Amino acid sequence: MKKKKWKPYLFILPAFVIFSAVVVIPTVYSLYLSFFSWKGVGAKEFVGLKNYINLFTVDPVFLTALRNNLIWIVLNVVFTVSVSLLLAVALSKSFKGRVVYRAIFYIPYMLSLVVVGVIWKWMYNPNMGFINEIFDVAGLGGLKQNWLSTPKIALYCVFIAALWQGVGQPMVLFLAGLQTIPVSLTEAARIDGAGSVKAFFYITLPMLKETFVIVLATLIIAAMKVYDIIKVMTGGGPINATETLASYMYSQTFSYSNFGKGSAIASVMLLMMVFIIVPYVMYTARDE
Amino acid sequence: MSRRTKKICFYTALTLLALIWLLPVVTVFITALKSQADFYSGESLFSVPEVWKWNNFADAWVKGRLGMYMRNGLIICFMKVPLGILVESLAAFAITRLKVKMKNGIFIFFLLGMMLPHQMALIPLNRFFSQFGLINNYGGLFLVYIGFGIGYGILVMRGFMRTIPRELDEAAYIDGCAEGRLYWNIILPITKPAIATVFIIDFLNTWNEFLLQSILVTDDALRTVPNGLISFMGEYGTNYGLLNAGVLISIVPVLLVYLVFQNYFVEGMAGAVKQ
Repeated sequence: MKKKKWKPYLFILPAFVIFSAVVVIPTVYSLYLSFFSWKGVGAKEFVGLKNYINLFTVDPVFLTALRNNLIWIVLNVVFTVSVSLLLAVALSKSFKGRVVYRAIFYIPYMLSLVVVGVIWKWMYNPNMGFINEIFDVAGLGGLKQNWLSTPKIALYCVFIAALWQGVGQPMVLFLAGLQTIPVSLTEAARIDGAGSVKAFFYITLPMLKETFVIVLATLIIAAMKVYDIIKVMTGGGPINATETLASYMYSQTFSYSNFGKGSAIASVMLLMMVFIIVPYVMYTARDE
Repeated sequence: MSRRTKKICFYTALTLLALIWLLPVVTVFITALKSQADFYSGESLFSVPEVWKWNNFADAWVKGRLGMYMRNGLIICFMKVPLGILVESLAAFAITRLKVKMKNGIFIFFLLGMMLPHQMALIPLNRFFSQFGLINNYGGLFLVYIGFGIGYGILVMRGFMRTIPRELDEAAYIDGCAEGRLYWNIILPITKPAIATVFIIDFLNTWNEFLLQSILVTDDALRTVPNGLISFMGEYGTNYGLLNAGVLISIVPVLLVYLVFQNYFVEGMAGAVKQ
């Protein structure tokens, strides 16, 4: 039976065409634009690396945004990972009501970050928000804050909202990972005299290596992209204190029409993420 | 510590954490029933409202146009998600079961798209769409959504299709099946569990999408829930009762999806991970 050699490629064609048109070509074009000064209309002026040099030398807001993304990565890696792992270990035991607990911690993850932002912006409301009100009830009125308007703490307040939303996904991944560890292994360790803490660090954690790769890569990539929740809760303020690369890119481009600069910011995001994305993609695509 | 005390400690800690996790939702609920006057009365958030304002829900639905945003969301999801799955499953089928060169290269190519920052595509897409009058056009929006969803869809379906035994293909070819029929009649039906996973996740992603839509759709009548809620905040900025009623309504469909498909969220996710 003779088969046409090109026929299999027809199956890939629709995906290839759409993907190239929507993702690949625009991405390449953005890189190209980042070497120009352009207001979105009129002529583009080639400026070489000037957009990039300006960002790193004379643009304090860009540096704040960059720092905030790095802080977000650290917060994600430390808090989101530990809380979700803890929850997964707790919820991997079988006990009454497990399904309900799992739902409570997972469902926020299914909500849009816009909805989460709206909810938490109200929680932090200085006049009638839950957090200040509960301090009042507890007689700790002195601790009341203007949470999202205080530059020093605003970013961390937004992160708490993101944490509330974000533990569900890694928790489920850890739960799936825990299911693959044979019970006999931890039992054997216990018989050999290892306490549950020891068994956790010497058996469970190493066995979760693969899950950790996935969780860490996804969380770092997500931290580089943080946008929706910032946009809704603080809009990058107060005085740019919660600006991230994504929110700064957006305002520079669509509010100030600095298309060249906006492309340069997006390209910096991309270049930083490549160090995570490429190894992770290779790891995912490896042939077992 | 005895087994019993350990158990009590475990439950107490977990329940405490779960209660903390529920607080924002409880807050939304008690706020949603307040009338505008309650926010200016100087009363505490926890005080019983003067009048229970059940009307907030109806107002959010009609005056806040939440009903319209949700309908738009459903339309977009039910058009985009199946179309995306068709495109993705065709590609996944080719790279797992047909003679294609550089299968892994092709897979990596698509996978990269799953992780690239959307910001890289924003400016060219926005310029291109405004030039060709595609802003506020669902057709254009579908294409963009499909493009950005392709990586995930191929990842999950490729993972599943790889596990289907080869003997099936050989038997089909001997029976005179062509590739098209092998895909449609044999492989696709077997891939149902993976398709279900992609459907649910993609549905939620599309339902919740905010950034791309905010630059490609400017007409309020075409917006979906996230962008709709934001315009809601502008219009009714100070009416927290109405806003929170809107939030509560917008959570309901997501809750339903979870209740109906909850098993997929653990097992499906595991399938996507360990392919």
